[in-house]
Amino acid sequence: MPATPILEVKNLTIGYGAKSVCTDIHFFLQPGEICCVIGPNGGGKSTLLSTLCRQLPPLSGEILLENMPVETILAKDFAKKAAILTTRRPRTELTTCREIVESGRYPYTGTFGLLSDDDHAAVDLAMREAAVTELADALFSEISDGQKQRVMLAKAFAQETELLILDEPTSFLDIRYQLEFLQSLSKKVRQDKLSVVMSMHEVETAAKIADTVVCLGDGKMQACGRAEIVTDELIQKLFHIDTALFGQLKLT
Amino acid sequence: MLSVLLYILVIVNLCVGSVSLSVGEVLALLTGQDANPISHSIIYDIRLPRLLAALLLGGALALSGLLLQTFFHNPIAGPYVLGVSSSAKLVVALTMIFCLKRGFVMTSPLMVAAAFGGAMLSMGFVLLAAAKVPSMEILVICGVIVGYFCSAATEFVVTFADDASIVNLHYWSMGSFSGIGWEHIGVMSVFVCAGLVGTILLAKPMSAYQLGESYAANLGVPVRLFRVALIILSGLLTATVTAFAGPISFVGMAVPHLIKVLFSTERPHILIPAVFLGGACFCLFSDLAARMLFSPTELSISAVTSVIGAPIVIWMLLKRKG
Repeated sequence: MPATPILEVKNLTIGYGAKSVCTDIHFFLQPGEICCVIGPNGGGKSTLLSTLCRQLPPLSGEILLENMPVETILAKDFAKKAAILTTRRPRTELTTCREIVESGRYPYTGTFGLLSDDDHAAVDLAMREAAVTELADALFSEISDGQKQRVMLAKAFAQETELLILDEPTSFLDIRYQLEFLQSLSKKVRQDKLSVVMSMHEVETAAKIADTVVCLGDGKMQACGRAEIVTDELIQKLFHIDTALFGQLKLT
Repeated sequence: MLSVLLYILVIVNLCVGSVSLSVGEVLALLTGQDANPISHSIIYDIRLPRLLAALLLGGALALSGLLLQTFFHNPIAGPYVLGVSSSAKLVVALTMIFCLKRGFVMTSPLMVAAAFGGAMLSMGFVLLAAAKVPSMEILVICGVIVGYFCSAATEFVVTFADDASIVNLHYWSMGSFSGIGWEHIGVMSVFVCAGLVGTILLAKPMSAYQLGESYAANLGVPVRLFRVALIILSGLLTATVTAFAGPISFVGMAVPHLIKVLFSTERPHILIPAVFLGGACFCLFSDLAARMLFSPTELSISAVTSVIGAPIVIWMLLKRKG
């Protein structure tokens, strides 16, 4: 018997104000699965993720989180259900990495935001899982982009949500950091039955790590399904290119 | 450490003046063992209220700067730079003249209310400009322009006001902690404490807000409400300071930065009390300098804070570039 999906998107149209960016989006996500959103620039990947984490209102359609319409969930409860990682990194000056991760405990602390022993334990665990324990006392502003991204992942882990919404988490990372990041992520996902929606530029990596794939382009959802649907033909159609195989790509 | 510094400054401020008193004498007076009427009067009627005013208002001003810097994600923001102080001053001046014409003297809560109105007016203007052009440079320029405009308008008002009002206004608009009596201290401490408590309650969302708006929203911070709270609190604190001591520059900008570097942290839980104490120390020291440097001539407090604060701000700007 299939489990109830953690996230279900029905007939969604996303965009800004009256301007629709992408229509006809529908997919669902089971616990413990990774869903990659792929497509060309401007296809609506980031817009979809912003809409999913309620920072942008949908133009029409429905988003259900554990069978509840997301707009009915209180902000403080939503914070315990979905954590985000955006392409914008915090611009802090004197904040340590550990303090960044600690901010993930925000929904669980009291009026003054003081951390309990449990909170500290959760922060320690999250930092281990994202492999940033040794960065704890380093200033966030002084570490590399790849390290920053892992610290932000640890912050998302510390939030202890069922759903992670990651916007291009591997962009601007070199191949080693990409691998490390994705390994930390998929290990945590399999182990704790988390669900992930993330956008990605690297189509081949996406096809490897994802359970399901959502393809957005040309103002509508072009395809969605198991990772196997990502074929050369689909890529060609989605990105309007003649060949999908990087080895054969020729610059004319 | 800051409290020790504050303690020392308190004692020095009590002792030093045109009539010097020894530490022993002051302590004896404070504990009620000495009944010399002249020194008693110096301490209780002049120095103690003035000291408390510098302490409370200095703390309030620094705190207001911290709130604005959080709001704008910009270390340059401060009540003076954004024109909040000047605009509060203008509205107070107008209200003061209006009241004097009608033949009654303004009460201190009314002064604060007028200053608050002025503060909100300029904040509103700067925020409107910020919504139209989302760039920090433009924002600061707007603030500076508002500030100059309000200063000019105040000059204008003062020039054409009746003689009786001018004496009052002119002295006040230079900025000074002198002439503050116990009845002012009461009103002042109510407003400043309200501001301080409000700010402490905002410590938690402030720490999340430092990560940026979308992260804060995701963590469950009601971002819009939080921003409104920041503006109102910093307006209240600035208004209180302006109403009692006139516009004072650089404290709001320099103190939070100094404290951040001193404690090498950005955690609001540490910053809020530290910035308040730091502002209190800064103003006590500045007031001491204002009183003593060219005694018996008294300098305006803003002149002293500028001389001390400006190099700090320039140093901090240069350090950021590098």
